[in-house]
Amino acid sequence: MADEKVGPTGLTVAESEEIHRHLIQGTQIFGMIAAFAHLLAYIYSPWLK
Amino acid sequence: MIYGKIWTVVNPAVGIPVFLGAVAVTSFAVHLSLVSETTWIKAYHNGGAGKAAMVAAPAAPAAEAPKK
Repeated sequence: MADEKVGPTGLTVAESEEIHRHLIQGTQIFGMIAAFAHLLAYIYSPWLK
Repeated sequence: MIYGKIWTVVNPAVGIPVFLGAVAVTSFAVHLSLVSETTWIKAYHNGGAGKAAMVAAPAAPAAEAPKK
């Protein structure tokens, strides 16, 4: 089975994809918070005005 | 999933802190350069700029009005 293949780090493909899924989700949440913070900065500060 | 297999060849104990550290360092550098290289952030943090702008703004149309 392809998912049981172990790479040099000792993780299987399934484990690697699980880690990557969480990393991408965290990046997306960080990005949304950052976008909201920049929106607030754009509205309430002289930035780009 | 694109790049989903990366953690089979990159140790997550190294790769994830490097990734998060790169994000943190880049973000810090951008904001530090904004604070140190621009004038308006310091003025904004010192305060009073908004009041001055609000006082100046109504005066401007009044000054322009007689010209028309």
